[in-house]
Amino acid sequence: MSEENIPERPLECSECKKPIAVIYTEIAKNNYVYTSMCADCPELQHRLHGLSQNEQTTSDTVTKTGVACGNCGTTLQAILVGTNLGCPNCYEVFKDLIVAELLKLQKISLRTANTKKNLPLHTGRFPGEITVFNPSAQLITLNEALSKTLKEEDYEQAALLRDQIKALTDKSSTKDKKVQNGEQ
Amino acid sequence: MESSNLEESEILKLVSPWANNDNNIWLASSLELYRNIDKYLFPEKLDTERKKQVISLVSKAILSLDANQSPLLIAAEKISPFAKQFLVEHFLTDYNFQNAHVGDAFIINQTGQLLTTINLQNHLSLKTIDCLGELENSWNTLLKMEVAIGKSIPFAFSPKFGFLTSNPGLCGTGLVVTVFLQLSALIHLNKLDEILDKHVEESIAITGIQGNPEEIIGDVLAIKNNHTLGLSEENIIATVRALTTKLLTEENRARNEIRNLQHAHIKDLVSRAFGIFVHSYQIEPTEALNAISLIKLGIEMGWITGVNYLQLNQLFFNSRRSHLLSNFGKAIPQEEIPHKRAEFIHEAFKYCALKI
Repeated sequence: MSEENIPERPLECSECKKPIAVIYTEIAKNNYVYTSMCADCPELQHRLHGLSQNEQTTSDTVTKTGVACGNCGTTLQAILVGTNLGCPNCYEVFKDLIVAELLKLQKISLRTANTKKNLPLHTGRFPGEITVFNPSAQLITLNEALSKTLKEEDYEQAALLRDQIKALTDKSSTKDKKVQNGEQ
Repeated sequence: MESSNLEESEILKLVSPWANNDNNIWLASSLELYRNIDKYLFPEKLDTERKKQVISLVSKAILSLDANQSPLLIAAEKISPFAKQFLVEHFLTDYNFQNAHVGDAFIINQTGQLLTTINLQNHLSLKTIDCLGELENSWNTLLKMEVAIGKSIPFAFSPKFGFLTSNPGLCGTGLVVTVFLQLSALIHLNKLDEILDKHVEESIAITGIQGNPEEIIGDVLAIKNNHTLGLSEENIIATVRALTTKLLTEENRARNEIRNLQHAHIKDLVSRAFGIFVHSYQIEPTEALNAISLIKLGIEMGWITGVNYLQLNQLFFNSRRSHLLSNFGKAIPQEEIPHKRAEFIHEAFKYCALKI
């Protein structure tokens, strides 16, 4: 596939797995060295500000990087550069950092991130819980779209949506009849 | 392409559900559920022995499920890169299965609609694909399986973060819902950005078919939930469905505009796509997929006859490398593939006519 002009994957930071924001080019005589980095790559900070800045700003990071998961050995530094977590215990060890990183990557909403510390962020089902959905959720969405389209006086679209609603209603009533008749 | 073993030949037999897909805009949808086993390190930290234990545990639970029709366990090392690519194409996944090696495994079944991966980033991933747009039914299928598996395998779960995954960006519900829409009219009328700005919220991510937001191939947008934590499963499905319904409405509106105004530049694009299909000697997959989208638009406008959506949707898969090669039954040298693709397309377009 890659040989045939379809790129296989999005380009990623060479240090972590986030998308590339900066391509850092080092020119030494005739040699060009390109390094691809994400916007908040520690490597980028290191290259831009050099060692002295690094030493000044990361005195507390140095102590932080000592933090590691006792179960799998994953370090805080590894998580900062986007490495995956190593075990379920990492969630307990790095919980505050995980929330901050998820917010930074826009993987959770601000409202979720601001949930009080001891309250769960998870609002979905628990293991073993059965939450079977009624396919009529599709009908609700279509009905909402239909009222909006009618408000906009787009009758052609409204007719299309009405057809879809009718098809779904017919299908579910046929199913109901089958269930009543003991068929599957 | 000849298959070297039973597992590989079973993979290459997968045709459903795409063999009967005559959808115009809603190309496909998929639901993927990620789970890990409690007390075990995540796969990237596991040695091969422990990974094999995970395969044994997970496969035992899955192979015994009644709902899983004639399941087949396939060790990743037993199949070629070609078969792995076939799975990527068939299941429309943006994960690179070429990274699957010893200690990783796949489970497929006869329906061709369900793929289980074991130890690829997470211990277990259950994925369904369909072209009926029945997200809620797909969820019910996945849920039944997950609950049944959960009876024998305790999942890693915390009340704060929900179901725990190696990538924290997937924790919580561990559910990713993706809908693939072919929005050719919005794209070629240059209205897509405006429409997306109007409707897309931060909880939704939009990418191309291969997971890259910058690379839209074949006018296909993959619309998926960006958040798995802080939302219920029902919310996730409803949010994706609501957005896709809006996009479908906008796409239909754009198609009506083309039908009414008969835009010359759209006619030109469709005619050129037709020309590429009928007259090219070599054709690359990206070019083929882009042309398929325009030809489908041409059929809807009544500008092209002699070919239907079903054939074009099949061609959408068969133009991709592994599917294309699987049709020839023998190895094809790399440099001949673009020509073989063109030949394959010419055959499908034998009775096709341009009416512009």
